[in-house]
Amino acid sequence: MSQSAQIRRSSGGFFLTLVSRYWGVLAVLLAWQAWVSISGVNAIVMPHPIDVLLNIVQNPGSYWQNGSQTLLLAAGGLVMGMALGTLIAVVAWTSRVLSGILIPLGLIFSSVPVVALIPVLARLLGYDVRTVLAIVVIISFFPAFVFTSAGLRALPPGSEDLFQVLGASKWRRFVHLVMPSAVPNWMIALRLAAPPAVLSAMVAEFLMGSSGLGYMFRAAATDFDTAQAFGTSVVATAISVLCFTAATLAETRVNQKWK
Amino acid sequence: MSAPHPQVSSTPWAIDIDHVGKVFTLDNGESLVAVDTVDLKIEKGEFVALLGPSGCGKSTILRLVAALEDPTTGRIAIENRDPLSLSRQHRLGVAFQDHALLPWLSVKNNIALPYKVAGRPVDHERIADLLGLVGLKGFENARPSQLSGGMRQRVSIARALILNPDVLLLDEPFGALDAVTRRHMNVELQRIWGEERITSLLVTHSVEEALFLADRVIVMSGRPGRVVKSIAVPFERPRRPEVQRTAEFHSLADELTLALEPEEAAAS
Ligand SMILES: Nc1ncnc2c1ncn2[C@@H]1O[C@H](COP(=O)(O)OP(=O)(O)OP(=O)(O)O)[C@@H](O)[C@H]1O
Ligand SMILES: [Mg+2]
Repeated sequence: MSQSAQIRRSSGGFFLTLVSRYWGVLAVLLAWQAWVSISGVNAIVMPHPIDVLLNIVQNPGSYWQNGSQTLLLAAGGLVMGMALGTLIAVVAWTSRVLSGILIPLGLIFSSVPVVALIPVLARLLGYDVRTVLAIVVIISFFPAFVFTSAGLRALPPGSEDLFQVLGASKWRRFVHLVMPSAVPNWMIALRLAAPPAVLSAMVAEFLMGSSGLGYMFRAAATDFDTAQAFGTSVVATAISVLCFTAATLAETRVNQKWK
Repeated sequence: MSAPHPQVSSTPWAIDIDHVGKVFTLDNGESLVAVDTVDLKIEKGEFVALLGPSGCGKSTILRLVAALEDPTTGRIAIENRDPLSLSRQHRLGVAFQDHALLPWLSVKNNIALPYKVAGRPVDHERIADLLGLVGLKGFENARPSQLSGGMRQRVSIARALILNPDVLLLDEPFGALDAVTRRHMNVELQRIWGEERITSLLVTHSVEEALFLADRVIVMSGRPGRVVKSIAVPFERPRRPEVQRTAEFHSLADELTLALEPEEAAAS
């Protein structure tokens, strides 16, 4: 077999796996295109997929700028929220009384619709990125708190006896046993929190921002620039999927080592 | 926590199990007598093996000595002190029945864990030595999930020995090994023990293992556990594997087997 045939074959294989894996996305795109072409709806109601693509390609600057801002806010808020959630979970772990107060409180607050908090926070923090960041922090806080709390108590079988027999101090037990035990749960929290972090950053920008993907979407929608509005959604979805995939990969990697 | 009993008399024993009983309260409120009155004295540097049918309370006795359980009746003293003070001073080595390795640590780091917990510098040379002794050279960086059951048990034995403990508790440490590896591990353990003479209590189901390793073999009855027989093992140390083929070894083995199976003895 010649080399070029081999390459053609493997690239054909690559194309096939791509189709077999993402045929759903492809089908939606085709159905979309077919529907707009056949029904002839106005482009303001429903743009052609090709126009959306063109809009993205023709305005790389503004997509890049707003997209990277939203991504940075989501990532920064995610990191801060996870850190805060972990910290509070550890504080709750240290005492039965504290966990008795903090865990129900956390559950109550996690059921508050955060969108309703946006105007309140904006009034407090200002109509800018600070509020967006605060929303993402709050959204990311709860999974981190809940899952880390559970993880700190999910110790491997026999390990508590082992640490007592080794004469471990409370601090060394925490460092060498309790914290590492929480890592798999912590990774679950990260995976679950990543997509909502992007979404909540966008919602906050949409409602009160002056930049970012959420704001860009609102501006485009107000101008009846449907292609740009759809383009923004596409980019936002891509960012969200990217974050989710990265978090899932990280989780698999960590679990290979941890279990 | 302070010792529950004042130290009235001092005894010469390294481990003094003084008329100890253990009753567990089950979830349904019933109580289960796991250990009836057990009275067992172990000298410093003595190796005692514990034989008995499954469920007779052998692990419970080990857990009592390790201060993982409190006796319901009687008391336990190690070097005349509360058993808890021994583990507090990082002088206790235990190999549990179910190995209890940390899944996220490599073999090497699992064995190094007692150093870290005790806040002592890690002696990599000693780790390498012990890895060689338990036949796990080349598996330093493997994770417990990548090892066989018998290999995990051997890691757990190395971990129990790493800090040169003054008291060693082994709960069926070779239960998951094939006969050949088991004999090999027995020879190695016998050699390590001969060098350091650690006061040891070994739980096993193998009569031959008990006889080969121990200075004294204790046979327990079925639940609730009581001591039904205690024999001193006469063989010189260091013991060579050949000792297991002598007539004296066989007759002692028969005697212990008989003590383990009282019904059959009565029937024949
Ligand atoms: N924490 C506990 N709560 C209730 N019952 C227990 C507990 N630990 C042990 N037991 C009971 O005590 C008895 C003795 O258990 P133990 O583990 O000491 O047996 P063993 O002699 O080590 O058996 P094996 O040879 O099978 O390991 C058993 O009947 C067991 O069900
Ligand atoms: Mg047992």
